[in-house]
Amino acid sequence: MAEALEVFPDSEEDTLSGKYLTFSLGSEVYGIEIRYVTEIIGMHTITEVPDLPEHVRGIINLRGRIIPVIDVRLRFRKPPREYNDRTCIIVVDIKGMAIGLIVDTVAEVLAIAEQDIVCPPQVNGAYQQRFIKSIGKVGDDIKLILDSDQLLSDGEMAGLDGF
Amino acid sequence: MAKVLIVDDASFIRVSLKMMLERNGFEVVGEAENGTVAVRKYLELKPDLVTMDITMPEVDGVTALKSIIQQDPAAKVVMISAMGQESTVKEAVIAGAVGFIVKPFKEEQVIKGLSKFR
Amino acid sequence: MTGGNNNSPVLGLFVFETNQLLEQLERIILDGEKAGGLAAAINEVFRVMHTIKGSAAMMLLDNIAELAHALEDVFYYLREEQPGEVDYSSLADMVLSAADFIRNEIAKLENGDNPNGDPAEMIGSIRCFLQALKGCGSDQPCAAAPSVHAVQYYIGAKKPEKAGVNTYEACIFFDEDCGMENVRAFMLVHELKEFAEDIRYLPPDVLDNDDNAEAIRREGFRLYFSSRNTLEEIREFLDRTMFLKSFEIQPAGAGQPPAAKKRTIDLEGPVPEASAPTAAQGTDGTQAVGKQNFISVNVGKMDLLMDLVGELVIAEAMVSQNPELRGLPLDGFYKAARQLRKITDELQDVVMSIRMVPLAATFHKTSRIVRDMNKKLNKQAELEIVGGETEVDKNIIEHLSDPLMHLIRNAVDHGIESPGEREQAGKPPAGKLRLEAKNAGGEVWIMVQDDGRGLDREKILAKAVERGLTQGIDNSLTDKEVYSFILHPGFSTKETVTEFSGRGVGMDVVAQNIEKIGGSIHIDSSLGCQTTITIRIPLTLAIIDGMNIRVGRNIYTIPINSIRESFRISGHRTFRDTGGAEMIMLRGECYPILRLYERYRIQVAAEDLPDGIMVMIEADDKKICLFADALLGQQQVVVKALPKYLKKTQGIAGCTLLGDGSVSLILDVSGLVGGMGSGCCS
Repeated sequence: MAEALEVFPDSEEDTLSGKYLTFSLGSEVYGIEIRYVTEIIGMHTITEVPDLPEHVRGIINLRGRIIPVIDVRLRFRKPPREYNDRTCIIVVDIKGMAIGLIVDTVAEVLAIAEQDIVCPPQVNGAYQQRFIKSIGKVGDDIKLILDSDQLLSDGEMAGLDGF
Repeated sequence: MAKVLIVDDASFIRVSLKMMLERNGFEVVGEAENGTVAVRKYLELKPDLVTMDITMPEVDGVTALKSIIQQDPAAKVVMISAMGQESTVKEAVIAGAVGFIVKPFKEEQVIKGLSKFR
Repeated sequence: MTGGNNNSPVLGLFVFETNQLLEQLERIILDGEKAGGLAAAINEVFRVMHTIKGSAAMMLLDNIAELAHALEDVFYYLREEQPGEVDYSSLADMVLSAADFIRNEIAKLENGDNPNGDPAEMIGSIRCFLQALKGCGSDQPCAAAPSVHAVQYYIGAKKPEKAGVNTYEACIFFDEDCGMENVRAFMLVHELKEFAEDIRYLPPDVLDNDDNAEAIRREGFRLYFSSRNTLEEIREFLDRTMFLKSFEIQPAGAGQPPAAKKRTIDLEGPVPEASAPTAAQGTDGTQAVGKQNFISVNVGKMDLLMDLVGELVIAEAMVSQNPELRGLPLDGFYKAARQLRKITDELQDVVMSIRMVPLAATFHKTSRIVRDMNKKLNKQAELEIVGGETEVDKNIIEHLSDPLMHLIRNAVDHGIESPGEREQAGKPPAGKLRLEAKNAGGEVWIMVQDDGRGLDREKILAKAVERGLTQGIDNSLTDKEVYSFILHPGFSTKETVTEFSGRGVGMDVVAQNIEKIGGSIHIDSSLGCQTTITIRIPLTLAIIDGMNIRVGRNIYTIPINSIRESFRISGHRTFRDTGGAEMIMLRGECYPILRLYERYRIQVAAEDLPDGIMVMIEADDKKICLFADALLGQQQVVVKALPKYLKKTQGIAGCTLLGDGSVSLILDVSGLVGGMGSGCCS
């Protein structure tokens, strides 16, 4: 089983705010608020569960806990890519539910100041946009900050209703 | 160390008695929750002393007492009775109970009473 | 009081046991009422009250002890005197409200509050009841109760002194609080008789009058007797007497009781009531109840234990089936591993069985509600309970109780009509209420069914429109869809709020509570005839014997108990029915075939029937054949729920961890079979 990397297990809530774990999907870099993240693990054997939307890849055994895993690429309707040794699963806890997010690779933990965060531009019809809460500017780089609640929004929770 | 068999249908009473006895140098060798089990355990464990509740389901304490005395006339059986059971206690005394303790009982009372039979 | 009684294990036990007794008591009363009178239950109620009294007194809970004592007296009287006319209905009310009082006090105790309820009023009415019974119940006035007591243990002074016989005079004090001093005196006299004669004592009627206990406490017990034994021997005898505080003994010179105190013994006088004959006491053939030794355990610890055992099972498999051992000659190792396996299996079974609780206790609580509501609402609902032995996990039971009570209340309150209304509708005046539990595949089904007025589709629909739950009157909605509107918050077609079901808790709360434990509610009804509400709970926490099968790269587990046989296809006739469904003919019967790789859209699996294996499974009396690549072997598996995120995956009951740490899906046999249409066409 892959080694688990604990993310600031002892950190206080305060020190977590304003911090983002960034990961990449191809050339785009996304950020997720660190308070949602419980750990980052390597790729696990995934058990497929029938009748699920394509992006829900199945379930994994995380030290005796069964958690579902979502391929974020597929969630954003990007073309699939073979998993390799850089592929990571970010385990997040959203509304009391543990869920694994499969991403191409994890980049770093960044602090983004509040004034550097702006609302995303309104682009009609962009499917991905519903998952983007805001945009963070770090130097010249742009980080798309995910809306974690939306990522698994209630409509999606039922699994089958996703599409 | 005196070996005691506790007979009572209320496990609460059994546990209370057991704790009291064991704190005071008695060895509780067995417990029974009704008369039938009491007689069987008596013959099996041969305790020095039996504390016997009177009102129990199936076979009651006095019947069990009689049965035990019949098989072992030297058996020392102390009845545990509640207020209001005077005539039953008398019956038990006639049947050969060596004593009786009235509920609710206190630890020092039980120990003092039972120490006579150590 | 004693150090032993106020510490928590004993307190816990007292609470547990007394609650059990109360439950039992309630059942006795309700069953007795059903059987047409409490007469048969008198012994049992007496014994329960007696035990509660004793335990409560030990815990210094005088209010409970006194209340139980008052009832014990009533039932004692009923048992001994068997009065003809007894108002059992009021008596049952009294016992039940006493049970409520005691339960309430115990709840306070449990919560660390002071159990200070005052039962004086209740005791008063119980005493009045007893008094009334005594007044008119028995043939004779109580004062002249039949006196089996004429047997006297007094041995009168009549013989002259003989040579070698000494006369003694003794005054004896018993320990304070030892209780029943008069009986102790009796005992002393009884034992004295073995070696003494001419025994006389003061108070003279000590053996028969229990009121003398107080006198003996105050003034001591005076004895005069003659014996051949020496003073020393008599002292020794007295020393051995239990609870004997002090005594004085001396050879009696003018060894007669003082004349002034000498009284004649009046054998004809009334025998005090308290000493009515009790030869029969305790010989009651009451039924054995939960008399085992119990401890209560924190459920959190049980959960932890459960998880640990689950992990142990996996760890065991990881060790004994470790790929690195393959091909090594390890006979001793495998022998030891088998033993380890056996023990872990047993451990697992035990842990599971600890957690499983039959529904009976929860079910029986409902009979009390039905009874009370019948009385208050003047209805005649008859409750039938079926399948109380069905076991569910402890966690689930706790979440089930409230919703169930609510459903029962609703059924009696809104479902079942008044006897008059029922007769008008051509129904028997007594309504039927059926509470049933059963195992159905991987689920437990609990059904609440009443033959009352049923649900009114039109009314519900109208209300749903009014609440904006649906647009306009939609006739395409199925009845079930319409009925399920009543599970929405704030939805009630009942205008008036009644005492029982209208306390602001609606069906929506029931639905939420059931969903919390992963269950679902299904409503079925026909207007004017019946309503059935079915709660389905998955058996999420369970260990089952499973058969692992492989389909492509995937592994599935089938519960062994639903497998009928497995076989390879060779020359069996397969064909397609008119609807295109694939069937196989076996021993004159034909069964539908379910190709799992098709069903689950799995690639690289055996597609030709002779290359794989058929597994015949059965559920709900239907059999189908599953087609898989291979059987992998049998093992016990811990059933885990699928993550909530994936809920409602059809055909999958849950998942389990395999020896190598991977996850296998457990097939929901009844879902698979049910999804196949009719099973047989022979």
